Amino acid sequence: MARSWSTDSDGPAGFDVREFARTARGSMRDHLDLSSLAEGPLPTEVHDALAVLAVLEAATMPHLRNVLVTHTHKDARVTAFLVTWAFEKYWIADALRAIVDAGTGPSGAPAASAAARAGTAGKAGDRGSSGTASGGRGPVRRALAGLTQGWDVVGAHLALGLVDDLVLRAAYTRVLACSSDAAVHASIERILAVKERHSRFFDEEVRRRLSASGRAARLARRELRRTTWPLGSGAITVAERSAFTQFTFGVAHGRALEDLRGDLAALPGIDVRTVASVLRGLAG
Amino acid sequence: MGFDIDRYTATSVSVHWDDLDLEDFRRHPLPPDSLRTLRYMADVEYHTVCYTRDLLTTPSHREADVSAFMTMWNREEFWHGEALAAVLAMHDVTVDYDVLKANRLKLGWKDRLDPIKQSVMGSLVGADFVAVHMSWGAANEWSAITAYQRMAELEEHPVLAELLRRIAKQEARHVAFYTSQARERLAASSKARKITRFALSRFWAPVGSSINTAADVRHVMTHLMSGPDGRRAARKVDDSISGMPGLGGLTIVQDALDELGIPA
Repeated sequence: MARSWSTDSDGPAGFDVREFARTARGSMRDHLDLSSLAEGPLPTEVHDALAVLAVLEAATMPHLRNVLVTHTHKDARVTAFLVTWAFEKYWIADALRAIVDAGTGPSGAPAASAAARAGTAGKAGDRGSSGTASGGRGPVRRALAGLTQGWDVVGAHLALGLVDDLVLRAAYTRVLACSSDAAVHASIERILAVKERHSRFFDEEVRRRLSASGRAARLARRELRRTTWPLGSGAITVAERSAFTQFTFGVAHGRALEDLRGDLAALPGIDVRTVASVLRGLAG
Repeated sequence: MGFDIDRYTATSVSVHWDDLDLEDFRRHPLPPDSLRTLRYMADVEYHTVCYTRDLLTTPSHREADVSAFMTMWNREEFWHGEALAAVLAMHDVTVDYDVLKANRLKLGWKDRLDPIKQSVMGSLVGADFVAVHMSWGAANEWSAITAYQRMAELEEHPVLAELLRRIAKQEARHVAFYTSQARERLAASSKARKITRFALSRFWAPVGSSINTAADVRHVMTHLMSGPDGRRAARKVDDSISGMPGLGGLTIVQDALDELGIPA
C-alpha cells in the first residue's frame, strides 16, 4: 500500500517533508576548499559575522524546546521537518566553524570558534542570558500558554523559523558582498543551497496557515514582536549581537533592512506594527 | 573513557534498508501479534522528538555535547520509525504523519502537562535533575536494544533480523552516550544518586507506556519478555542499570514485568 506523507488536516501541503528527510545533507567538510584562506585571513567583520552565524545556526535545541512544549510537538509532519532541519543546521554550523578556523589569522582570536563550538547559551558569564534564549518565557509559561493556543500556535512557530531564515539570509548576503575570497563564496553558496529548502517549507507553511486562520496570524504577530532576533541570540553576547545586526542591517550597507521590511509585509496577517517591531530590534 | 561526541556526529547516519528484500515479507508475512509489537516499536521511535522535549526542559540543553547528541539521536530514532514503518507497509499497515498526529492527539492532558512537570522538577532539583534524565535514557535505550534482540530471536525472519540488528547497533551508541553522561553525573553528586534512584524505582515504566494503551504494553511485554528467556533478558537490563553509581540492587525492569503480570 502506498504511504501518504504530504497530507495535513489543515489543508493541502506541497513541500515533501519525507523527501527532505530522506535527502538531508550532512557534513560539508569534504566539499570545502579553504586552502586560499591560509594565504590571507578573513576581514575581521566577515570573520566575526561568520563566527556568530555558526553559533546561531547551531542553536536549534533552545528553539526546539520553546516550540515542542506546545501543540507543535503533536504535528508529526512539522516535527519530522524540525528533526531534519536541526540536523542540517548542525552541519551548516560545522562548516561555518571550519571557515572561521581557516580564516583566522596567526594573531586571530580562537575564542570566536570556541564560542561557535558551544553552540548554545554557553557557560561563560558574558553570554546572553537564558531569558534571551527563551524570549523571556521559559517552558512552563510557554506550555501553559500552549494549553489555550491549540493548533494555531504551529503557524506562529513556523513564522519564527521563516523570519529567522530571512534575517540570516541577509547576513549571508552581506558576507558575500564583503568578501572577495572564492572559497568563502563557494562555501556560503553551498550553505544557502541547503537552507533553501528550510525557507521554502517555512514560507509555504506560514502562508497557508496564516491565511487560513486569523488566530494563527494574531499569535504569529505576537510571537514575532516578542522574539529577540535572530533566534539563538541567547547564545551570543549582547556586543556580538549588536555587531552582527550592524554588519547585516547597518544603513550604510544598503537595502537589507528595507528588503526585509518588504518580505515581512508580504506575509499574510502580518501588520505594520509587527514589521516595525522586528525591524526595530534588528536596527539596534 | 568518555563518549566521543565528535566521532559520533561524524558517523551518524540514517539506518538504511534499501539493500534488504522487503518483498520477502509478502511471501513470508509476520503474524498479527508480531505486527502489533512492531507497530508499538515504530510509535516509540517516532515519538522520540517528544521525549526530547522533556530533556530540553532541563539545563542540559545548554551543553554542547548534549545538544549535538540530541540532534543526531533524534534523527536516527526518526529513521528507525521509518524503517519499521516500511516493514509494516509491506503488511498493508500504514503509519504516516496523519496517523502519528492522531496518536499524539489521543495522549490528552497528561502529555500537555508533562513538560510543565518536568520543568518544575528541574527547577526544584537543579542541575542534578539531568542525571535522572540521563539514567532514564540509558534504561530506555538498554530496553530498546533488548526488545529488538528478542524480536529478532523470536521471529527468525532473516530480513527482519538484519534490519533490527542495524537498528540495535545504533541504539548501542545511544546507550554509550547516556551511560557516559549518567555515570559521570551520578558519581559526582550524592543528591543526583538519591533522586535518580528514587525516580527510577518509583516512576520508571517500560518504554512506550506513556504513549500506548495498557493492553498494548502488556501485549508487547508478554510477547518479548515473558518466559525464562524473556526474564533472563530483563535481568540483564537490570544488571546494567544497577551497575551505575548509586543504583545498585535496582530491578526496575523485572519489577515492571511483575506489576504487569507478565509470566516469568
